[in-house]
Amino acid sequence: MKQPTGQISRLGTFKYLAQRFAFLSLIGLTFALMLIGKADTVIVERARTAVSDAVTPILRVMAEPAATISDFVTNLQELGAIRSQNADLREANTRLLEWQAVAQKLENENRQLRALLGTVNGPEARSVSARVVADSGGAFAQSILITAGGRDGVAKGQAVVTGEGLAGRITQAGFRSARALLITDINSRIPVRVGEAGDRAILAGNNSPRPRLIYLGVKSAIAPGDRVVTSGDAGAFPPGLPVGRVVVADEASAVIEPFVARDRLQYVEVLDFGLTGILAETAGAK
Amino acid sequence: MTGIAQRRTPWQKFEARARNILPFGLTVVVLLFGLTPTYIPGLAQITPMYTLVAIYFWAIYRPDLLSYGLGFFIGVLEDLLTGAPLGVGSLTLLLTQWVVFNQQKFFHAKPFAITWFAFVFVAFGAVLLKWICIGLVAESSFTPFGDLFAAYLITLAVYPVIAWLFSKAQTGLLAEP
Repeated sequence: MKQPTGQISRLGTFKYLAQRFAFLSLIGLTFALMLIGKADTVIVERARTAVSDAVTPILRVMAEPAATISDFVTNLQELGAIRSQNADLREANTRLLEWQAVAQKLENENRQLRALLGTVNGPEARSVSARVVADSGGAFAQSILITAGGRDGVAKGQAVVTGEGLAGRITQAGFRSARALLITDINSRIPVRVGEAGDRAILAGNNSPRPRLIYLGVKSAIAPGDRVVTSGDAGAFPPGLPVGRVVVADEASAVIEPFVARDRLQYVEVLDFGLTGILAETAGAK
Repeated sequence: MTGIAQRRTPWQKFEARARNILPFGLTVVVLLFGLTPTYIPGLAQITPMYTLVAIYFWAIYRPDLLSYGLGFFIGVLEDLLTGAPLGVGSLTLLLTQWVVFNQQKFFHAKPFAITWFAFVFVAFGAVLLKWICIGLVAESSFTPFGDLFAAYLITLAVYPVIAWLFSKAQTGLLAEP
């Protein structure tokens, strides 16, 4: 073995020390970041927004093949079941037409009664459809990136829904993208009402697919199968959006199964109750 | 040979530079790949920790091209993009790099199976660390460990695939001329 010359070994020591210094200062920086992030500063939000806005176009392209394959597989599956599905749909259609008649009658009646009472209607929702281009991935965080942002009227706090029910809430809105925190995330807290009695509770996520109910009244009698809907207590959230169904209810905990499955999220709608302008008018004109 | 190497054309310089950012670039690609929705039922919950695999791989084979600084940067990027608490990803990746850099003798010229076996322990430590950090930052409940364990197992399973792709890229593109 050749002994390294003085210069090289000194250079090696220097490099080693520099690397060690870099490592320790970066570790310090991560803790600083954790504190800054914890304080929920505007800078962190801006950084998140800027990065999401920049990356969304790339993710949009990357999501394309998976979406195509998924659509193709779904089409194949549906093709196999097309006859039985057709029969089912015909049946459902007749049933729904009956329901439509009932709904129209009730709507008329409701309008007349409201007019009698002189109640003021709640704000109409304006909705924006968007594509899901990224799922935060893994069990560490549960959020999605969508292709609608500030330019489409999406703002922080709005509800994100699918046909099945509530998926989450907008936590950060950029120009062309927005992040929605899913109701299953560890940081998600949604005021809800449970069952027919409408007991108030908070739905708290824990990063598992099944969030739980906390701050449930002592006397409340909830049972598996009870529907959970938003209570609208937080303000920005419209009341009565379907959230999920109670699956476990005992003394220790109440666990719910959300109606919206995270892995089926391909398109979502963002509900905006703040801007009533356009839609309220068109709805009234109909 | 050395004479030619000394007077490199601008194109060759560019090529060398492009080669040097390859490990970083590929790590960013797997990060983005991990973010794209697969629409496969149940998979979103247990998405593997792709960046951990990438950082571990490059820490063993090209520590010169993926320094602590870049590891930190990838961690921050990941946290910003996934919505995870800021700093947690960086801490995990930096400590992974630190472990591998300090065991360079152990990892030197070892067969694939050994590095995979070592990854079983490194990844477990990383998952545990991330779990504790996220629980502490979120201040409420801890994520049920069962889901994380599934994600951990999946991460171990994708290691050979990513390692194979990266080693192809390394021998094909990173081989020194």
